This record gives sequence, structure tokens and C-alpha cells, in this order.
Amino acid sequence: MNAKLKETILNPIFKGNPITVLVLGICSSLAVTVTLKGALVMALSVIVVTGISSLILSLLRNTIPGRVRIIVQLVVVAMMVILVDQILKSFEATYAIDKQLSVYIGLIITNCIVMGRIEAFALGNTPWPSFLDGIANGAGYGIILLIVAFFRELLGSGTLFGFDILNRFGYVPNNLVILPPFALILLGCIVWVQRSIQKDLQEK
Amino acid sequence: MNTNNNVYTVIYTTIIVVVVAAVLAFVSESLKGKQDANEKADTISQMLTAAQFGTKAEFQKMGNAAVLAKYAEEIARAFTVDTKGGKVADLPLDKVYSPSELKRQNYNIKGGQNVSGNPELPVFIFKNGITVVPVYGAGLWGPVWGYIAFGQDGKTIKGAYFDHESETAGLGAKIKDDPSFQAEFTGEQADFSSANVFDIVKGGSPKNADGSEVIDNKIDAITGATMTSKGLDAAIDTWLGAYARYFLAAAPAEESCCSEAEKSNTEED
Repeated sequence: MNAKLKETILNPIFKGNPITVLVLGICSSLAVTVTLKGALVMALSVIVVTGISSLILSLLRNTIPGRVRIIVQLVVVAMMVILVDQILKSFEATYAIDKQLSVYIGLIITNCIVMGRIEAFALGNTPWPSFLDGIANGAGYGIILLIVAFFRELLGSGTLFGFDILNRFGYVPNNLVILPPFALILLGCIVWVQRSIQKDLQEK
Repeated sequence: MNTNNNVYTVIYTTIIVVVVAAVLAFVSESLKGKQDANEKADTISQMLTAAQFGTKAEFQKMGNAAVLAKYAEEIARAFTVDTKGGKVADLPLDKVYSPSELKRQNYNIKGGQNVSGNPELPVFIFKNGITVVPVYGAGLWGPVWGYIAFGQDGKTIKGAYFDHESETAGLGAKIKDDPSFQAEFTGEQADFSSANVFDIVKGGSPKNADGSEVIDNKIDAITGATMTSKGLDAAIDTWLGAYARYFLAAAPAEESCCSEAEKSNTEED
């Protein structure tokens, strides 16, 4: 059981990463990775939403009427997303980031990772593993977000977390890197790297 | 237990929805104060940015309390005017208009079924003589609004700041994110005697022979963001049009105003 729990946690981080292997949550990973700060807040928000929604729905799993299963999931996920948005709005430190991420926080509702993991895991497992599965999938998503944002902020603005890095050496920020297509190119490169390490993902 | 029973399904979904609604209502109510404080500080930092007391990024670093203190230090008078240029009422010096209040006034200016009364348009005058007025309108995906700062002559623009709810990142969002777009307003002059008070158009920044900017009421629109540019243009025309009589009457000596209310107030001062 312990090995299985470990597998639940580690699998989504690399081998079964929601973005690079399951190809879920691509849209927001292109949109919110212009700065590391934005990506970090987005990653944490998704971790909280996936973790707690999985936990709640796993607790309810035996009572949910089969025919309205998806609607019940949607209501719980939507509640979590609105809570996260409201909380981000009420702190001075996160208000500006929440404004910058604008619609994308709200759109966590439509992030396939959340509903996908609830359907595939939380409804068939006990609360503790479901909670860990949600957290781990959120983290797998967050790691990719941070990698993409690292390169985009470094090359697109010459900064990291808002601190001048390349700018100090007279670097001229590249505008292409700021635009979403470059995030897709980066994402493609990450998938390429992962597939050359993990040979079993390669199609024959 | 048969969870597929109709009665069970209806009762279950009802309970879930009621519980979720109660949780959200409770959280929303208990966080509202903090959110409003953040929104107010944000609005104030936008006005200060328009009036060129600093950049938006600087105000963000200062924190809410410092922004409010800076505003209290710089603001001289605030009051509302109607579309005839007459003063309606004084505003407390810590009062600002949130986007939702601007929206209400926007309906009042434009007329139609959402009118809640006569327009009461806020005017904020800083100690250095700069007058800041808001604008509000529809962009491509949602509302756009902002603040325009005028010099003492009542027509030369000293600065501007715009914000939006959901314009396209990298295109329409440039009204907020691109300082060079906002900088284009600086030095231009609004034409309060015409219906097109200010224009955001293609090729709106002609140069003089010596390379300096022609001072007119036009600036260049944003490439790839035609609808946002048009929306902002309409918002500016509508709002500055509503302020036109106030500015025409106020210029150049800002104190010699027209209405009785303004006169009596000036005497009290």
C-alpha cells in the first residue's frame, strides 16, 4: 500500500505528467507563463483546487447519484475555484497577480486536470490517496508551468521573479518569447526531452 | 441505498447547491471589506499614475497604506459635476469612483433603460493643479476604463492610465500594459468644442518637419487591437464629451466657474 501511495504521488510529477504525457491543461500553461510569479500563483491555485476537490468528492463518492455525477463534481470544483479567486483578491500581496491572471484563475474550472483526476481517481479511491493524487497532479502541472515560465521570463523580460538577471548585461528582451506561440514551442521541447528519457512513451 | 432514485437525486443536488451557495455567500461577505480596500488602493494608484506622480509598478511596490497616504498628501479638491458643467456636490477627499460606480455613471451619460439619475461625474484636482477625470466604456470583451490627467489650461493632457477587465493579452491589453501607448497621450490636447473630443485612429501621430510630435487631439491606435482601440476611443469621446462644458467653462482660470453652486463654494473657500 505504501508503494502504491508513493506511486500515486510520484507518477504525475514525471512519468504520467498531466501536461506533457496526458496533454491536459495546455491552454492555461500557454497563457499564464509570461512571468514566474504568475506561474507560481497559478500552480499553487491549481494544487489547492485539485487536492481539495478530489478530497471532497472522494468523501462523497458513495452518495453521489450516478446520473448527476458530473454536475456535482462541477459544483464542487467551481466552489473551490471561486474560493481561491476570492482569497487571492483579498490579500494585498496577491491582488495585483490575481488581476494579472484575470480570467485564468476562473478558468481553472475548465482545466481538464481537475475533472479528469476526479473522474479517473477520486471517485474510485479512498479520501487520503485521492487527496494526494490531486495534490500531485497539481504539482506535476505546476512544475511544467514553472519551467516554461523560467525560460519565458528570462528570455522575454530578462528578469526572474521581477529581479534583473540578463538585463544587467545589456540583454535586449525578445518579444517573441512573451507571445503564447513560444510557450507552445517550449512545451514541445519539454515533451521531446521527456520522451527521449522515457523510451516507453515513444510510439513504434 | 439506491442512489439512482429520482427523489434522492433531486434532494441530493438541492442540498449540495444550497451548501455551496451558503459557503460562497459567507466567504464573499467576510472578505468584501478587504477586497474593496484593495480595489480602492488600486484605483487611487491608477489616478496617481495618470497624474504622473509615479509609475504603476512603483505604487504596487509601495503597498496600499503608502498609496493612500500619498493620495491624501497630493489631492486638493474632489467634486462632482453634471453634463452642463455645473458643480453638483463636494466629494470627501478619500472618496474614489470604483469601476462599478463608473459603470453606473456611464449609463447615466448615455441614457437608455439603465439610467439611475442625472450624471454626477467626478473631478479630482491635485495640489499641483492637475485635474484627473475618469473615462469608462466597452472594449472588445469587457469594460475598459481609465483616468486622464489635464494640465491647468484644461485641455493639455499630462498623462493617462487605462485598465480593462478582459481584453486580449498582448493586443488589446496593451492599453494597460504598454506604457508607450499611455505615453502617447501626454502633450496632446483634447478638443472640447467638437464631438470628437479625442481620437484614437490609425496614423494618428503625424510628425512635424523637425521630427517633433504634432500637438492635436489624435493618437495612434494599437495594431491588431482595432476593436479595443475603437472602444476606448468611444469611451473617451463619451466621457470627455460629458465633461466638455465643465472644461470649457473652467479654462483658463479654473476658479471662475459658471454655476451658482460653484460660485458660492468658491467664496466659502
